[in-house]
Order: sequence, then C-alpha cells, then structure tokens
Amino acid sequence: MGSLLPGCGEQSPKSGGASSATALSSSADEKPRRGGRLRLGIIGGDQAGNLDAHKPFNTGSIIRGFALYSKLWEWNDDMLPKLTLAEFAEPNADASQWTIRLKKGLEFHHGKTVTADDVVFSILRLTDPGLASPFSYLVNAVDREGIAKIDEFTVRIAFKKGIGFSPLPSLWVNFGGIVPTDYHPVTNPVGAGPFKYKDFRPGERSLFVRHENYFLNGQPYPDELEILDFKDQTSRFAALVSGQIHLANAVSPDQIALFRDNPRARLLVSPTYAWNGFYLNTAKKPFDDIRVRQAFRLLVDRGELVKRVFNGEGRIANDLYAAHDPTFNHDIPQRLHDPDGARRLLREAGVGKLSLELVTNAAGSNAAVVFAEQARRFDIDLHIRQVDEATYNGSEKADWAISTGGSLGLPYLAAAVSIDGPLAVANRSNFYDARFHDLIHQALKEPDVERQKTIVHEAQRIQHERGSLLIWGFANALDGVSPLVGIQAERSHFPTWRFDRLWLREDTA
Amino acid sequence: MSKASHLDSTATGETQPRRIFGTILDQLPSWLPWVLLRLLSGMGVVLALSFIVFAATQALPSDPARQILGPEADEAAIVLLRTQLGLDRPLPIQYLDWFSRVARGDFGVSLDSNVPVSELLARRLGNTLTLLLCVVALSLPLALTLGIVLALWRDSRPARFFITLLILVKATPDFIIALGLMFVFALNLQWLPAVSLMDPDRSPLAQAEFLVLPALTITLGSLPYLIRLVRTAMIETLESEYVTQARLRGIPEQALIFSHALPNALIPVIYGVALMLSVMVGGALIAEVVFAYPGIGSALNSAVQMRDLPLIQGAVLIITLSVVLINLLADFLTVLLTPRLRTAESKVLNFWRRSYRRAVQPDSSRGW
Repeated sequence: MGSLLPGCGEQSPKSGGASSATALSSSADEKPRRGGRLRLGIIGGDQAGNLDAHKPFNTGSIIRGFALYSKLWEWNDDMLPKLTLAEFAEPNADASQWTIRLKKGLEFHHGKTVTADDVVFSILRLTDPGLASPFSYLVNAVDREGIAKIDEFTVRIAFKKGIGFSPLPSLWVNFGGIVPTDYHPVTNPVGAGPFKYKDFRPGERSLFVRHENYFLNGQPYPDELEILDFKDQTSRFAALVSGQIHLANAVSPDQIALFRDNPRARLLVSPTYAWNGFYLNTAKKPFDDIRVRQAFRLLVDRGELVKRVFNGEGRIANDLYAAHDPTFNHDIPQRLHDPDGARRLLREAGVGKLSLELVTNAAGSNAAVVFAEQARRFDIDLHIRQVDEATYNGSEKADWAISTGGSLGLPYLAAAVSIDGPLAVANRSNFYDARFHDLIHQALKEPDVERQKTIVHEAQRIQHERGSLLIWGFANALDGVSPLVGIQAERSHFPTWRFDRLWLREDTA
Repeated sequence: MSKASHLDSTATGETQPRRIFGTILDQLPSWLPWVLLRLLSGMGVVLALSFIVFAATQALPSDPARQILGPEADEAAIVLLRTQLGLDRPLPIQYLDWFSRVARGDFGVSLDSNVPVSELLARRLGNTLTLLLCVVALSLPLALTLGIVLALWRDSRPARFFITLLILVKATPDFIIALGLMFVFALNLQWLPAVSLMDPDRSPLAQAEFLVLPALTITLGSLPYLIRLVRTAMIETLESEYVTQARLRGIPEQALIFSHALPNALIPVIYGVALMLSVMVGGALIAEVVFAYPGIGSALNSAVQMRDLPLIQGAVLIITLSVVLINLLADFLTVLLTPRLRTAESKVLNFWRRSYRRAVQPDSSRGW
C-alpha cells in the first residue's frame, strides 16, 4: 500500500489542529459532495495542445481528453485496463480478432446514444492516415478494412494478416476516446466523458461542465472543471497553497520539502511503474558489444539515482519495464551496483578510456548529470548534450550512442511494441533480436495470460541478458492536493485526472 | 487643357482650395516629412524582419510536423502532415503565401492548438499592453521624482545610500524579485493572488488585483535604470552653462528646475522608457512565467519551441510593429521637446513647398 505516504501535513500533529484542513485523505466512509468548480493546474510546457480525442499533442491535451472522452476501457488503480463503456471485450483464440459489446443506454454530451457506429467511426478516425495521429502507431496492427459492426452495440475488430493483438485494451485505451460520427475536434468536441466542453484558451485554461448523463450514476461530482496551464512549478505551487487551484499533477521531486508540515496542501504519492533509464544504441560503438552494455548496467548506481533524481520518491529497477504486469518475471535477480564486474567486462571488451556524448531532453537532464558523475569513476567521459523536445524526438533519435529515456508504466506487451519490440516505431536503441521478436509475436497471439506468462518470462530474460535498455528506476507519481479535495490514492499515474471521482468539500470562489 | 475649360474652372473657384492647400503646406510643421519617412522606413523594417524570422524558423532543427506529432510518430505521418501544412513548398512561395494572407488580415491558424492566430494574439497583446501601461504609470512618476531628488541632493549621505540600494535592486535577478513579491504579498500576507489566473472574458483592468504583482516586478526591475538616467541627465543639465546663466539672471530655482532643466533631462528618460518598452513588449517573460500572466512573450516563446510558424510570424509581426511605433513615438517626443529640432528647416518640406509653388505659379498669376 503506502500510497498516502510521506512526510507531509497529516504526519504532523502540530499543523492545523482539528480544522477541515487536516481532514486530508478521503476516508472510505466520507460521502462525496456535489457542486463547485474543481481547478487543476497542469504544467503545459510550451505546447498548448488541443482538444482532439485521437490526436492529443501533449500531456495537457491528454488530461483534457480524460475529462471529455470516455473509452471502452480505462486504467484501473493498478494501471491495468478495465472495462468502462464496453460491457464485454474478448479476443478469439489467436487474438487475431476482438469482439467488443457496448453497454446499453450510454449517451454523448449532445444527447445522442453511443452505438456501434460511433465505435467504428472512432477507431477508423484514430487510424486514419489523413489524420496523421502520432498515436495511430499504437493500433497500427488494426486492419481498417476488417472492422465490422455486428449489431447496434457490437463491433468486431480484425488485425493485419498474421498479427495477433492480445494487448488491444492497453494500447487503445489512452487514445481510444469514443466520439460520435458528427465529431469535430474544434467545432464539435463531443464525447461521453464526465465533463463536456465549455471554453478552451490554448496555453491558458480550459473550462468544462458536468455531463449530466454520464454513465456512472450521480457522477461526476463538481459542477465545473477548470484546467489551468502553468509554465513554472514554483508558481503553480504558490497557486495551490494560496487556494487558487485545488490540484497540481506531477509535482517536481524538488518540491517535496515544500509540502512538509504544510496545512494548505499535501503531497499524494502514487507508486507507479513509470520507468527512467538510458537507451544504449546497439547500432553504435561501443554498445554493439553486449559486454559494454552489461558493463554500463553494472556500473550504474541505481540507488543513488533514485535518491538524487527522484528525491527518494521511487524504487530501483532491473533494466526491465512493466514490473506491475501479471506476466512479469519476478525470478530474474535484481542487478546491483558492481564496479569490479563492470571493469572486468570493459576490459574484456577491449574498451579503455571512453568518451561519449550523452543526449538528453529536459526531463532526463538530472539523471544524465548524476550518471555522468558515476561513469567518470570508470574512466568514461559522458559529455551531456541537452536538446529541446523537437530535436530529442527528431530524425536523429536512433543515431545517438546513448540517450536518456522513460515513459509511463504501461503493461508489458504494450510497452514492448512501442519501445524495443518488433512493431516499435521509435526503436531508439536499434534492438533487433530474432528470438526476442519471435517471442513478442507469440505473446501477441496469446490471449491467455497464464500461457502468455511463459513466453514473456523468456523475452524478459533476453532483455535482461542482452537488451539495450538501462532502466534504473521507477518513479512515484507526486501530486499536490488541496485539503478541500476528495481524492483516492492509487498506483496509477493519474489520481488527479480521475475527473469522475474527484470532489470538493467546499465551494470556493 | 483648353483655355476655355481653364477659365471655366477659375470661375468655379478652383484656385481657392489651391490657395488653402498652399497655406496648409506653409504651415505644416517642419518635422512632418521626417515622421512620414520614419513611418515608411519602419514599415520596411517590419517587412524585412518578417522575412528574416521566416527564414530563421526554417533554420531551427526539427520541423513543426515532427514537433507536433511527437516522439513516436512514424515517418509517413510526419511527411503527410508536412504536406498538409504546406511545409514542403519552397521557402519564398511559403513566405509569399503567408504575406498575401496577412495583407488580407488572415494570420492563419496555430499549428499547435488549431485556434486562429489573430484570436490568440489579440487578447495576449491586450494583456501585455495593459501590463506595460501600468508599469509606465508606476515607474515614470517614480523615476522622475526620485531622479530629481537624487540629483538635487546628489552629495548627501542618504542619496548615496539610496543609489547603492538601487544598484542592489538592479543586481537582483528579476525572478528573485518576482518570487519575493509573491511570497510576501500572496503567500504570507495574503493580500494579493499568487498567480494571475485572469478571467478571459473580462478586461484585465477590471481584474486589477492580478496586475499588481507582475507590474511591480517589472517596475522594480526597470526603476533603478530609469532613476539613474533621470539623475544623471538632471545633474548634467543643472551644471550646464545655460542653467548657470539663468541662475545668474535670478530665475527662481524652482522655475529653473521644472521649466528649464527638466524638459532637457526628459530626453534620455524617454529613450530609456522606449528601450524598456521595446524589450518588454516582446515579453516580460519572467513576470509572464512566474505569475502565469497570459502575455504575448510567453506565447511567442512557446511558439518558437513548438515551431508553430503561423503563431511565430504573427507574434513577431505585432511585436516588431509595436517596437517601431514605440521608437517613433520616442523620437517624436524628443523632437517636440528639443527647440532646435522642433523648428529646424526641413529640406524635404521646403522642396515640397517650392515644387508646389512652381506647379501652381502659372495658374495663380492668371487667377490674381
């Protein structure tokens, strides 16, 4: 458990007395209250984003999408997909087809009933080459010609020849907003999500009002939801403690101390499997040599990285992502800091003094600095080059010998097909292992989790023994929460985006 | 032209307006052609800059399509979006296309948010100008008063102490000032909102509480510079020969300061303010970021990061235009404040007058 952790307000008996400010966590017996305008402050960065269900450009757009659009599945509290708009969704024996049935009586914001036509329209729109959605690659395997409406509420989805697609839910859920056939992202941004569109000021704020016919009875609770864009963590923190906003998602680890003994805001900690690491490019010297890759994985001091980069809010990782997946191989021993082993491997590989450029984006820069310090002890000079997001994601991304990386804690197969597996578009580390690819293809065709497990276990052993990722840690999601908000702790990335569950204890101006 | 028709037109009194025009021409202030020329050259600057910026955006690594679509987009999607955005065309064609649309008042649509650029910029420009207006309203009187006082008592101990204090304020980075103000007035005293989350449907002046901290930050940042400008200019003027002469003639000290010294000391201040505004109109970035104030600077900054070409172009055009206008206004005020410039013979105007007289000469000789 441990989700309502750390050294924040609730641990201090001195702070705030018995006022409402100390009633911090929403206890199970506290009844959610309706009304009010809930305000969430996000760090929008430079990208203002949009309202498009299938082409959200940045985190801000995705968060707005959580308010506007419901999906067939949503992430449960453990970051695994569970049914929401769908009442039934099962693959056939080789996962080459999925049959999906909608719940009855679902309604869009403009009153139209959600039907099979809308599901077909939505998946066709997401995969439309003309829309050029950056997320269509997730469901690239869908055969656009093979989508069939079985009846008013049932759809069958087939995949391109020879591909099984058992992880459809975890790959489709993020960008699978079900929208009506008359949808338009600018003039008619309608969905079946908990809140409907009212106003959108790019880079500034967006305003939503309650969807009265949301599929969960009586929810959402607030009358209105306002999402405010900030550029700076400090000013967002100031807005939170001064009551101008109620929630601040993804707080920077350097701000943890600010929440200590703070009666006006607490830190909600959710242990997630968001991985942080380095891509070791197998197509580049010296990482074309397995021994050098393994040496790097041994010379890294994971504990120090967790301590310094996450400010302690995280756990060390074992060069494998998706440790929360039921198929995860927990028998693989944790790789530990082993300076002698690393030196021996480097010597065997004939590597003397090394000088490499370590490319990072802003998000990875702290980890790059700490790791470069660690590598120096092994006569390895890592020159850090921080590039902007455009360059980081640009055409050179698979040409850098070593670069920082990380992403959300997706389930295993979903992560594999986007990071280093056979269907990965952005395979930054150029990892092409025949057996590994074969195993992933097999797992994709296997709908049964128990049988999938055996296959995945072997695939993970390969990644651990000769893979190209140095994954040193899993970060906790840190969210700043006002005492006025009723919120549940979970093990996902987004307790602050659960707009159908959040509620306000009091109305604020 | 036949003689009959000419006589005809004389009969209908056509010489009358001509004479009036001649008189107007004679009475035109001598600085007018200068202002018109400056306006024209300003337009040239705006045009040239718009092209340079257009070219510069092409030199940035990566392109809008890739930036918009993000890390995992495949090459096909990027190529397609590039074609949809017209980015695959030659640069001059893209520029001409953009320019012809701007000439018709169409700034295009933001690549990032799909919202019309004019709509995005209009409100942000309004916010920035409102903020700058507050800054000028705050800093100008303060700078003048303090500058004059410091000049008059320039050798006194408190004045020296104050100057040191100003240097200290100037040396403090703007963001520290911003955060300091925020922590004192918003978080501790709770007199003012910490960040400027303004209601977009109301005018910024109607929600002045959100303007105070950003305006104070910018004012504190620019005040030391302005005060020192006023002080130095005042000291120089007060020690000039004409002021000494005037003093010897027994002109009262107060009149000396306010009617004789101050107008001259104002000129560097006008340039100081113009320089400050020219920089700020492009972005009072610190204030905009720290207080989440929705101004034009942060919009441009983000647009550059996002390679949002229509938004970059629109913002740069507006900012350049503002800078040109601000500088023109400063020059104009300087001319008005400087008797020598104000009354100087204008060669251009004289040329116009001479040419006009030459052109109307035969008519007027017959008419009179």
